[in-house]
Amino acid sequence: MNALRRHRALSRIWASDPGLKGWFTTVNHTDLGRMFLFVATVFFVIGGILAMLIRAQLASPRSAFLGPDHYNQIFTMHGTIMMFLFAIPFFEGLAVYLLPKMLGTRDLAFPRLTAYGFWCYVFGGSMMIFALLAGIAPDSGWFMYPPLSSTIGAPGINSDFWLIGITFVEISAISAAVEITVTVLRYRAPGMKLSQMPIFAWYALVTAVMILTGFPPLILGSILLELERAFGLPFFQVAQGGDALLWQHLFWLFGHPEVYIIFLPAAGAISTILPVMARTTLMGYGWIVAAAVSLGVLSFGLWVHHMFTTGIPHMGLAFFSAASTLVAVPTAVQIFAWIGTLWKGRPSLHLPMLWLLAFFATFVIGGLTGVMVAIVPFDWQAHDTYFIVAHLHYVLVGGFVFPMIAALYYWMPHFTGRRTYFKLGNVAFWLVVPGFHGTFLALHWAGLLGMRRRIDTYESGQGWEVINIIASISGFVMAIGFALVLIDVVVNAVVAVRGSRDPWGAGTLDWAMPTPAAPYNFASLAQVTSRDPLYEDPELPVRLARGEGYLGDPGRGRRETLTVEIGTGAPRYIVVFPGNTALPVLMSAITGLFFLGMLIKAYWLVPISALGVTLCALLWVWGLGRPAPEEALPVGRGLSLHTAAEAADPPGWWGSVFLLLANGTFFGSLLFGYAFLFSIAPNWPPPAYLEPGALPVVLVLAGAGLTFLGSRIGTVVGQGMAPVGLALIAGAALPVLSESPDPTLHAYDATVWVFVGYGLLHCLVGMLMWSVVMLRRLSGHSADTTLGAMRIARLWSDYTLLVALLTAAAIGLPGVLT
Amino acid sequence: MHPAGPAAQVISQLWWVLLAGAAAIFLFVAALIALAWRRPPGETEERRFVVWLGLAFPMTVLAALLAYGLVVGERLLPRATPDLVRVQAEARQWDWRFGYDDAPGRVTENLLHIPAGRPVDVAITSVDVVHGFWVPRLAGKLDAVPGHVNLLRIEADSPGRYEGLGSEFNGAGYRDHRFTVIAHDAEGWRAFLRGETP
Amino acid sequence: MNAILRLSLPLTLWLAAFSAIYGLHGLLCSSRWAAVAPELPGRVLLVGATIAALALQALLLAFLRSPRWPQPDAAIRRVSMVLAVAALVGTAWTLIPALAMSHCL
Repeated sequence: MNALRRHRALSRIWASDPGLKGWFTTVNHTDLGRMFLFVATVFFVIGGILAMLIRAQLASPRSAFLGPDHYNQIFTMHGTIMMFLFAIPFFEGLAVYLLPKMLGTRDLAFPRLTAYGFWCYVFGGSMMIFALLAGIAPDSGWFMYPPLSSTIGAPGINSDFWLIGITFVEISAISAAVEITVTVLRYRAPGMKLSQMPIFAWYALVTAVMILTGFPPLILGSILLELERAFGLPFFQVAQGGDALLWQHLFWLFGHPEVYIIFLPAAGAISTILPVMARTTLMGYGWIVAAAVSLGVLSFGLWVHHMFTTGIPHMGLAFFSAASTLVAVPTAVQIFAWIGTLWKGRPSLHLPMLWLLAFFATFVIGGLTGVMVAIVPFDWQAHDTYFIVAHLHYVLVGGFVFPMIAALYYWMPHFTGRRTYFKLGNVAFWLVVPGFHGTFLALHWAGLLGMRRRIDTYESGQGWEVINIIASISGFVMAIGFALVLIDVVVNAVVAVRGSRDPWGAGTLDWAMPTPAAPYNFASLAQVTSRDPLYEDPELPVRLARGEGYLGDPGRGRRETLTVEIGTGAPRYIVVFPGNTALPVLMSAITGLFFLGMLIKAYWLVPISALGVTLCALLWVWGLGRPAPEEALPVGRGLSLHTAAEAADPPGWWGSVFLLLANGTFFGSLLFGYAFLFSIAPNWPPPAYLEPGALPVVLVLAGAGLTFLGSRIGTVVGQGMAPVGLALIAGAALPVLSESPDPTLHAYDATVWVFVGYGLLHCLVGMLMWSVVMLRRLSGHSADTTLGAMRIARLWSDYTLLVALLTAAAIGLPGVLT
Repeated sequence: MHPAGPAAQVISQLWWVLLAGAAAIFLFVAALIALAWRRPPGETEERRFVVWLGLAFPMTVLAALLAYGLVVGERLLPRATPDLVRVQAEARQWDWRFGYDDAPGRVTENLLHIPAGRPVDVAITSVDVVHGFWVPRLAGKLDAVPGHVNLLRIEADSPGRYEGLGSEFNGAGYRDHRFTVIAHDAEGWRAFLRGETP
Repeated sequence: MNAILRLSLPLTLWLAAFSAIYGLHGLLCSSRWAAVAPELPGRVLLVGATIAALALQALLLAFLRSPRWPQPDAAIRRVSMVLAVAALVGTAWTLIPALAMSHCL
């Protein structure tokens, strides 16, 4: 079989549906990555237009262009869109597009999940934009401090759009994160050791794990605040035992890691692009991996530095001031390793490199002002002024937008298969970068002169006029520059001439394929032995196209790729991917109805759509089953492997592990919130702690025992015992809730209800999982091919047991002890 | 940036130190980058960049800075001192009410009277949403959180009027959520306490 | 998974210790604590907890070095050692200066 016939055969298997239908049924990472990037760019444009409205309003004192009601919506939505609808999804899009290619595999671990996440993002984002156009957008600032964002300060539907819309969008972040984690760990080219991964994969891995542990506190906070707004559960109402500071803790537990979730992917792109631009290899690969991991974890110990002015004791602040200075160290390691890389090589001045220089100039300033505000007394003075606004724009635009534009220009030949031809990009560069510094450099000073952020106008005579007019004019120059970048990209994508395969002379596998990429990525999978496979073997792309790698034979007629051992990269089993399907878009639309029902208070819609989502999920899972095992199948180069259907740790198991990591963080945040209210909130203890007696304890313990045993027996009987045990645990909810009939009385009762609701949901999901396993066995699937599914169900029910026991202790102990 | 009290004064001084340090570091980094184009390529020692510049250099600077910041922070804390005046600030949408330990029952709206040259502790709280209490020329800001009372030490060097601001976004009336601090000389303060000042 | 564990454990331990000690400090300064055990010396507890955290980090570092936890990939081994040292330094950096500060002001 020659390369062309192999290409045709593989294309037939992997291609998306033709025409319009293909947009909705595609599960291919190349398509979805491009779609993610496109939609994120649309949101960037919308957010940018809002920024221009802000600058128009602030250009002169006493401006009457916008009133406070519109202005408050506009700055809230500018922040919200840029953070949640542009930055995170843009990273997801880039990772979705690039990771399988860089790792030398054919798709992400869960193709349908990619599509589901994408559509959740589109639908959730559309909700937010609808609110904006209808003039009922959130208006409490992007960090939504209650009580201002709660019913007291915002009785309208505005805040609900934020809480519900953003939670909906976060489904896409969580699913992309699960996907990226499993892909980086298990879906690599055979032989690619962990320490031989392209550096971008390390950054993506760290970022993904951060999303899994950083987003759950915010999701919890959003749910609690929405429960307060919709049903009066007083988590943030001080009179009834709540505390406004609880939100600030939960929000910044998310919010600070978020900054690094945005910066790290950009750093990954820099570490990839910079050595190529300097015609050398990256200096200090190991150090950079260590720095990325350090940043990832350290950033979780910084959240209180956003709360230096909330009255926390100075010793408490000192912990976080110290941690905030410490986090500058791994950042410095990266910066100097990059400079060392430039010294080592012969740096060029191509367009991507120019943008990287803009990154250095901007981000270093942002980092230095960051160290300034890490110093507590200075922060007391600068907090909530334009100094902070300027600082965060230096960090986010310098640390994310500029590197991402570098990435855009670097990978554009890959996206389009064309040479970048027109020189519009250079003009755009010289508009954006000076425009940016013109906008924000002087705003530092306005902040120090006492200009507060978020005021809609100001009086003249305070020395702010000149700064603001310069900022506004520069802002418009910058906007024109960004528009030119977009025009440049479109023009180049449409009319430029075909280019060569690896125009920059890079060494990573993403350039080992013809561009634009074929839907199957690689005609056969490479055996990797070094960090830059293309430097070692420049002929590799040709050999892969000739089918000399693994899985070069399309004979089995299905979408196949290989998984590897995490550490060594030794091939483990074959994964058979699902084909094109409309299930993800359908399921996310029904998920959207669920959130819509919550939003417009049409509560009848909620259970119906929950049922719909469950049915879709069952359909989704059922299709993965295989009735009988296949023998080991040849994968090329003399190797034979089994398929994932017979593996004890199929991809779904790994996905569950990381989903449970996120889930566990969510539960941990709930426990933290409870402990926080318990020890800090002013109106505690509640009128009475719960004393539900022995019945629920007996039910939980008996159910836990039954489930634990049943899930370990491994026969149909055991698979029947497990859900019964979970049902017993669920039954304990009744006596508990009857003791605390009104969750609106006190934050304690409200918390009990949330604990119980969380436990019930998990029991229900566990029961469903065991039912699927049992049904598979009863419908004649062999024990070998249900082993993986059974282990997934066991993982979930073990987690549920842990939750049940911790919940019982958390609810019961205060009543017993006092 | 026109300090008129000891707290604002040390913070202002801190700022100038920070600015000078930051400018020096920025120029240093920029020079290093520019040099990459100026020198012939070749073997560059990894240790020099990663260990010395990446680890040792920032850790030294940051340790000094952290110590400086913490010491300054300690000095600004509301410790017990003789001659201390205590007032209360209660924020709401969108005004401020001030009460005085030395003149029980006396409430002023959007107007805070203090004696000049004496340390004043402001006990800050809120009755509705989160607000911020900030008199830029006297001290840093501190939030007013419903249900909590936060203590802020302020002091004005000389008698005068100082602008105070609500500095935590609090809804539609945020822009005009202001107050004025009047620092009296000793005689004026006594007059205020006697109720002779409106 | 062995490699991932090696890499993630040191700083996760830092985060756990850091959050726990911050939480302990919050508790010690809360009105609830004052009601229960006002005579307990808070600072001694905090110092004790910090020493325990440092000891744990040192122990982990020793364990990562020891042949009882082998790692065939030398690069991964080196990175994990760097991270363990970073976590130890980080524990000292973030906890020790704070303990010199005023307790509950």
